[in-house]
Amino acid sequence: MKTTTLFAALLATFAAMPAAAQGSFPNRAISMIVAFPPGGVADGTARPTAAAMEKVLKQPVNVTNRPGAAGAVGNSVVANAKPDGYTILMALSSISVIPAADELFNRKPAYSLDQLVPIALISADPTILVVHPSLPVKSLKELLALARSRPGQLSFSSSGIYGALHMPMEMFLHAAKLKMRHLPTAGGGPALIAVLGGHVELTAGGPAAITGHVKSGKLRTIVSWGGERHPAYPDVPTFKELGYKNVEYYIWAGLVAPRGVPDPVMKSLRDAVRMVVNDPDFKNMMAKLNSPIRYMDAPEFRKYWDGDAKRLAALVKVVGKVEAKK
Amino acid sequence: MAETFQNLMLGFSVALQPSILVYAVVGCLIGTLVGMMPGLGPLAGISLLLPATFGLNPIVAIVLLAGVYYGAMYGGSTTSILMRIPGEAASVMTCIDGYAMTQNGRGGPALAIAAIGSFVAGTAGVVGLMLLAPTLADWALRFGPPEYTALLLIGLFILAYMSGGSMLKTLAMAALGLMLGMIGIDVMTGYTRFSLGIVELGDGVGIVPVAVGLFGVSEILLTAGAVAAPEVQRPRLRDLVPSGEEFRRSAGPVARGSLLGFMIGIIPGSAHIISSFVSYGIERRISKHPERFGNGAIEGVAGPESANNAAATGAFVPMMALGIPTSPVTAVMIAAIMVHGILPGPMLIQTQPELFWGFVASMYVGNVVLLILNLPMVGVFVNILRIPYGYLYPCILCFCIVGTYSVSNSLVDVWILLIMGAIGYALRKFGYDLAPVALGLVLAPMLELSLRQSLTMSAGDYGIFLERPIATTMLGLGVVLLLFALKPLVFKSKDWRSEVGLEKQ
Repeated sequence: MKTTTLFAALLATFAAMPAAAQGSFPNRAISMIVAFPPGGVADGTARPTAAAMEKVLKQPVNVTNRPGAAGAVGNSVVANAKPDGYTILMALSSISVIPAADELFNRKPAYSLDQLVPIALISADPTILVVHPSLPVKSLKELLALARSRPGQLSFSSSGIYGALHMPMEMFLHAAKLKMRHLPTAGGGPALIAVLGGHVELTAGGPAAITGHVKSGKLRTIVSWGGERHPAYPDVPTFKELGYKNVEYYIWAGLVAPRGVPDPVMKSLRDAVRMVVNDPDFKNMMAKLNSPIRYMDAPEFRKYWDGDAKRLAALVKVVGKVEAKK
Repeated sequence: MAETFQNLMLGFSVALQPSILVYAVVGCLIGTLVGMMPGLGPLAGISLLLPATFGLNPIVAIVLLAGVYYGAMYGGSTTSILMRIPGEAASVMTCIDGYAMTQNGRGGPALAIAAIGSFVAGTAGVVGLMLLAPTLADWALRFGPPEYTALLLIGLFILAYMSGGSMLKTLAMAALGLMLGMIGIDVMTGYTRFSLGIVELGDGVGIVPVAVGLFGVSEILLTAGAVAAPEVQRPRLRDLVPSGEEFRRSAGPVARGSLLGFMIGIIPGSAHIISSFVSYGIERRISKHPERFGNGAIEGVAGPESANNAAATGAFVPMMALGIPTSPVTAVMIAAIMVHGILPGPMLIQTQPELFWGFVASMYVGNVVLLILNLPMVGVFVNILRIPYGYLYPCILCFCIVGTYSVSNSLVDVWILLIMGAIGYALRKFGYDLAPVALGLVLAPMLELSLRQSLTMSAGDYGIFLERPIATTMLGLGVVLLLFALKPLVFKSKDWRSEVGLEKQ
């Protein structure tokens, strides 16, 4: 009798499985890939998002770090993943730069942007231009005057060539027709250290990373790359206000999926993220991280991403190969 | 001073709360295990734990993660000494003399000295952190690319004192390491070099798979290929305690290693792995019997093991005093407190006294816990050697592969591990020393980047190295070291190498 019951139960389980597989998404754990090591912007956004998505989708959402080659490794993992919605990527804005740089160097591209489709934009933060306090400038006007009087003498640090903190500086330098020395470093932290130590004069910094140093007077803010003034820095003007219409740059984080995910699955994912951004726990966590939520659903995000990618790709071409410039 | 004492009392009142004490002990325990596991180092360990800390309060989070970090420095020495397999990258140098000691039947004392040296260095490091953090942090910031270049050059000159083999073979191995270090994306220009179209190689070849492969996997292969199976050791209790002679010999290296490691640890960007290389080189240089190194010199265990622990603590100086992440490990720890809404920055110690002083006090406690944990464990660990190699080594190989894979979930790393194992096996058959490969691999990308950064800062003028006092002093020191190394070559005088017949090979 006992055996029969067990057998029947087993049979029922097996019979139910295909039905569940065809049924509602998701019926197993989702893997959210982060193309950077833990502790960065991508990881910091992914973990609260994943935690809130679990509550909505009633399935585990596991964050997996696949760091390497400035994000190219993790991005290409998702670009080439099976498009079933169970592998998604917490992408950073640099996702658009890597294929452009690959093209510039005639490399076999790690992935192409049309392999990926947007789910939703989650956060976006402009960079802010900061200078070492010993530099005698307090405004963009004074900075420009100083830079023009010492062409090619000032230097700025960045998170690496074509990196998230390099692109905004080049955007500004190109628009203002300035020349400065570029000191690439191994990441956002070292780039900040270079300014704090006075080894370079300026850098573009993320608002969260610079707050403590600005408050204690070790860094001075000059201007922001935002479309409007940053809520945490109401006194810092934007490039746009000061007449640089095209100088706008955000470090953004958004969820993307491989192309070809079935429409109903995409809809579930988009709906889930819409619920996530209104979850109080999620909002609370993002506020603690100083990471402003900027939600855009897929169609809107698509438009924003396309514009951003086009601008960055053009910029990579303008910057060109470093060797070729000499 | 009275203020410091008061603050420290505040710290202990935080750190000795049972809820925090438990996490400090758990952190140390996990750290010891992470350190012992080949391939899995402190960075991977605290990265894996980071998400688990989000639900805790910030003091608990940082106490737990710090425990993992310095606990790993204790644990890393165990497999290095007993099996010549570096538990984590900073224990590469410990493999050489530590394992030689095990073969001489002195594995127990080596483990004990490593634990005691780690304890002394760790505690000295915390004292330094507590008293000097704000002062030293400002000094650390003055370390720009030119100073860093000078420091790394000294690291290269130390090569000459590192290896026990012939100079030619040492330099050949260093060159191999430097060449491996050239693989990957050039940070200055964005070009990809020698990556064979493999995206994962864009970041270069990691030190973890190379160190574990060259030392660990090759050791396993060598043992498997030996004509007669190595005899299983049966250590007796009285062989576990270091002799008076061994204590006396270790005192100097522990003191020097602690100081050196702490200073190197403070410098932004420098890895604790370099501190262990430099310490080994110095101990060998100043030793009256350099020929003993490589054959089981206790100094070669005491120095590097103290240095890597002190460096781990030193790395907290800029993290706490300035709120800037100077290494991947401290970056993760800063992320752990940022999640709780604490903004890192120069005001951290003032605005979060409970956090800072609780953290300092927890490290005093943690180091004591680790010593208590590790000393009696020496007897247990040494008994691993009783396991027949036929069972032990396949298990270790599995651990190597799993540990290496878990660092960045990358199969490419596993392939690098295996290929390096094969290369290491071949090279050791021909009598090459492998430590210079690891040093070369660590130094090459850092040296190249900082040299080119320096030249960017000066628009190509090498004069920048002579305009900055710290850089100039260190370069001068480096030149002196180089001249010492060259002396026997130029004057054909005999140094210890020829005396013990090494150069005749």
